[in-house]
Amino acid sequence: MNDLATLDISGPIARLTLNRPDARNALSIDLLAELHAKVDELATPSDAIVLVVTGAGKSFCAGMDLRAVMNDPSAPAALLSSLAEFTIKLRHLPLLTVARVNGAAIGGGCGLACVCDFAITHSDSKMGFPEVDLGVCPAVVAPWLVRRIGAARARHVLLSGGLMTGQHAFELGMVTQVVPAVNELDAAVDALAKRLSSGGPNALRATKTLLNSLDGSDNAEIVRRGAQLSAAVLATPEARERLAANLAR
Amino acid sequence: MTSTAHSKSLIGRERRGDVCVLTINRPDRRNALTPDMLHDLRREITTTDGRALLLRGEGRVFCSGFDLSLCHQSADGSVMRSLLQGLSDCITALRDLPVPVVIAAHGGAIAGGCALLGGCDFSVTDATAQLGYPVVRLGISPAVSAPFLKNALTFGHARERLLDSGLISGLEAKRIGLASECCATPEEVFHRSLAITEMLASKPPSAMAVTRRWLRELDGLDQPVTREQALDVSLSRTGTAEEATRLASLFAKLA
Repeated sequence: MNDLATLDISGPIARLTLNRPDARNALSIDLLAELHAKVDELATPSDAIVLVVTGAGKSFCAGMDLRAVMNDPSAPAALLSSLAEFTIKLRHLPLLTVARVNGAAIGGGCGLACVCDFAITHSDSKMGFPEVDLGVCPAVVAPWLVRRIGAARARHVLLSGGLMTGQHAFELGMVTQVVPAVNELDAAVDALAKRLSSGGPNALRATKTLLNSLDGSDNAEIVRRGAQLSAAVLATPEARERLAANLAR
Repeated sequence: MTSTAHSKSLIGRERRGDVCVLTINRPDRRNALTPDMLHDLRREITTTDGRALLLRGEGRVFCSGFDLSLCHQSADGSVMRSLLQGLSDCITALRDLPVPVVIAAHGGAIAGGCALLGGCDFSVTDATAQLGYPVVRLGISPAVSAPFLKNALTFGHARERLLDSGLISGLEAKRIGLASECCATPEEVFHRSLAITEMLASKPPSAMAVTRRWLRELDGLDQPVTREQALDVSLSRTGTAEEATRLASLFAKLA
């Protein structure tokens, strides 16, 4: 069986890949456990300065694995808690993080892009938070989106639901850079990673730590409460009916 | 469509499908707000039915702010205090609703009218509309809007808008994030606003209510200390000689 997540370190640049392309890299308990393990490896001192996060295949990450949520009543709370802890961990890594949004970044997947310090996508990728359409509350990712694009725009995005193009995501500030086509993505990511890794590692870490404390990222409790809130909403009949209808399509 | 007439009130209310539409209905005074109107508006907000709320103004502008002629007649500042408290209560009531709120801010949203935008999730204006807080030149502090602006805009833009009494266009309001959408003409604003409100009303109500409440908590505006501090700053400038002199000068010019 292939690893669900892979980590490659090459000099100052590390690359973490969600490797479940047949499920559009949907976040299962097992995939999240591997992501945790890989990121834990990066917490120890190394030469790596920049971490590129990406998805294998055509999608970046399709969000939570909804089938697992439907079939196991204990799955939502565990899954959401693991996602919450992973976003906190990723935010506090002593590396600069770049999301290489190669394709669909949906719900929790889009949240991962928002947690990273930088995010690059192409103009036709599909991004967004359709949670409310499914009767679900995007509570884990909301704090990260608010920090990324501000409270007012986060309100528009999360209450409207649906998906948007990568170009629109760039205009809203959800991603920091957009390239016209997917085949131009690697050149842009490589150029950014190279430029970022030329900075003084200690200066970069100190600056990132300061920014985390200025924008409230140190408040891990709010993200954990978000996981509890999302799990409670997922257990409601409204959410379960809508999810069942969605999975049946 | 069902409609309920409130004949004596200057706040109208009607139901359009799942949407509750509230209308500030004093077009001959550019929908200038009195303490009674703010009282009625708050009552209508808190008793809203439907799955989304749309707030609009009758006539050429959404709302031109407080009816300052009443303040001019009240030398002790009591009317201004009542207006500020009523405005703050309305914004809080809008934010406390479980259903999403859209404001159709066509033509103009000025001073207290602009402050109402702080209670909504989406606001739609038009390119030539005028928005802003031209009150410091009257010796009045727009501080009551500061917590909202700090969140909706960058700190830099919020500072500029609250300290500079000049008005900005709808296009500029959209650019800095004060409005969420900008139509080409005022005539389009209501229809666009209604379309957004209907879209929001079609979403699952429980998920919308929980998500809205969560966002309200995340943006930090619900700390009573934030709201009350801001209101206190605005209230502290009422009944002062600075305010009285500047209001008197304004009405002398208008006379």
